[in-house]
Amino acid sequence: MIPACPLAAVSTGMHADFATVLIFILFGVFFGLLALGIARLLRPHNPHPEKLVTYECGELPQGSAWVRFNVRFYLIALFFIVFDVEVIFLYPWAVVFRQLAAAPGLGLLALLEMLLFLAILVVGLAYVWAKGDLDWVKSLTARPAGEEVAGE
Amino acid sequence: MFETLALNAPSWSDLRHFVPETVLVVTFLLALMADLFARGRRPAGPFALALGGCLVALAAAVSSLPAGPRSILGDLVVVDGLAGFFRVLFPLIGAITILFSWASGEIMGPRREHKGEFYALVALMAFGMCVMASAADLIMLYLSVELVSLTSYVMAGYMRTSLRSTEASLKYVIFGSVSSGVMLYGLSLLFGLTGETTFVEIRAALLAGRADNFALLVAMVFVLAGLGYKIAAVPFHFWCPDVYEGAPTPVTALFSVGPKAAGFALMIRFFYTTLLSPGGGQAAAGAAAPDGVIVGPADWPLLIAILSVVTMTYGNLVALRQTNVKRLLAYSSIAHVGYLLMGFLMLTAAGLEAILFYLLVYAIMNLGAFLFVIALNNRLGGEEISDYAGLSTRAPWVALMMMVFLLSLTGLPPTAGFIGKMYLFAEVINRHWFWLAVVGALNSVVSLFYYMKIAKAMYFTPGERAPLRLEPLHTAVLILLAAPTLALGVYWTPFKNFVDRAVAGFAGLGG
Repeated sequence: MIPACPLAAVSTGMHADFATVLIFILFGVFFGLLALGIARLLRPHNPHPEKLVTYECGELPQGSAWVRFNVRFYLIALFFIVFDVEVIFLYPWAVVFRQLAAAPGLGLLALLEMLLFLAILVVGLAYVWAKGDLDWVKSLTARPAGEEVAGE
Repeated sequence: MFETLALNAPSWSDLRHFVPETVLVVTFLLALMADLFARGRRPAGPFALALGGCLVALAAAVSSLPAGPRSILGDLVVVDGLAGFFRVLFPLIGAITILFSWASGEIMGPRREHKGEFYALVALMAFGMCVMASAADLIMLYLSVELVSLTSYVMAGYMRTSLRSTEASLKYVIFGSVSSGVMLYGLSLLFGLTGETTFVEIRAALLAGRADNFALLVAMVFVLAGLGYKIAAVPFHFWCPDVYEGAPTPVTALFSVGPKAAGFALMIRFFYTTLLSPGGGQAAAGAAAPDGVIVGPADWPLLIAILSVVTMTYGNLVALRQTNVKRLLAYSSIAHVGYLLMGFLMLTAAGLEAILFYLLVYAIMNLGAFLFVIALNNRLGGEEISDYAGLSTRAPWVALMMMVFLLSLTGLPPTAGFIGKMYLFAEVINRHWFWLAVVGALNSVVSLFYYMKIAKAMYFTPGERAPLRLEPLHTAVLILLAAPTLALGVYWTPFKNFVDRAVAGFAGLGG
């Protein structure tokens, strides 16, 4: 189906291939340490608290960088990924569709299958829409107040 | 048998062999839509649809038990005896879960949201597990595992306002994504080594000696890690007790049997298909085994045997110290995975039959034990062993039924658990793994102690005396589960035959 990749064909040489990677890693680590070591030997040693302040384009930093992001961003990101992935699936399908359509019986199958896939996604979209998750300001349903720590 | 199957292009007729799965997907979508129209405190529509869908899928699976292996959907899925067995088991587990969730305060309580979604998710999970049991391709393997995992994460965090539940969900997500990544790496190595994605083609490539032994070992161990996480075998079990304790109890009940059985199904299909040569003979490197030759450098049975011993011993020893029944049952479920792994490493048809039979029995008795916890949690609001003090006077029949489940989990006659363990140990001894059998037997003795701690609280510790009445639905399902637990301990031939037919139709053992 898919031709064996060259890695498999020369399986005896595989360790040698990975040895190249290992050498690269070792060299990378060594080079980093070398640069830091030389810098330490050459540079003046003059610590100052101002030097440890977070760099914010020259402004004085305000507050902590560890802020809580609104959970709504997370929802939007999720929806985005869903529909992004949908497009990713549509592209290769569209590319090979002409070939599929030439084969007897396969064209209709491919078309209907993609329609089915889209229909399932539409159900998902309808669901989040009806549940109000597409609204930026979501009206909260009435819920008994108070946090519950353990199970009910 | 398997080799004769040609590469199939997908076609409409494939769906005829995919009926239970199709029913479950449609059920999920319909239940989700019905949730939008559900009014009132209890989402009757999604509940009825999900329950009905699981039952229809069950009926479809029972009425269309596959005769021989059939590769469908472009060789991504194989429908054979093994798949046929599990597509009966999973809708059954789903239906029971849906039934007892309906009366559970943790699922249907006033604080809960998205109640209809819950039932839809159970159907989706049942679908994912069915696909896990019939995946015949690396892509399908990964997709199905992820489908089940993602549904599990959502269900573990179902009690959104409960800190315990959200913590369980988060832990599950983190553990799950790491092991999923490790497994994916293993799968990619496997693809790199063989250039194939279907299990059968991978075996052919391995038999032809195309793969580097060391890289193959790494790839297989990584895949084992991913699947070991799914079945919660030591050392991939760390998520298990916390998730089981934090998740709503009906979800815990589902987790403790469903994904575990699905993980075993996938492990059996994957490792037996890729690493066992059909019928023996064409030896590559590796040790000889009764029903074929293992490809690869490692002594796989010994490796799995060590895993099995560590898993059961750890599960049992830690369970000894638990006072929370949910945690206790979590560790006991880890121990049961150890017993099941004993059958896995026998590499024989009899070993597989023992696994499947035990999975069936385990599903019934473990769901029963958890249902007991759910039913009492509804009334007592807790699940510590001490909460059950004096239960034998407050609700004698319920205590008696729990006693049956506990005896069965220990593996004492005359219960189904005894028969299940008997088949497992018989095969272990037949294959001359005496030390393994001894360790397993000792572990069963250890497990008796902590199961009997619950029995002791129910029967010998004085507590309140006021009679306790359970939800009628809970009592009904308890009886429904206790009856087969007892009956299968006395007369089990039809079920054994059912399991034997499933294994005989399994493609991986040479048809």
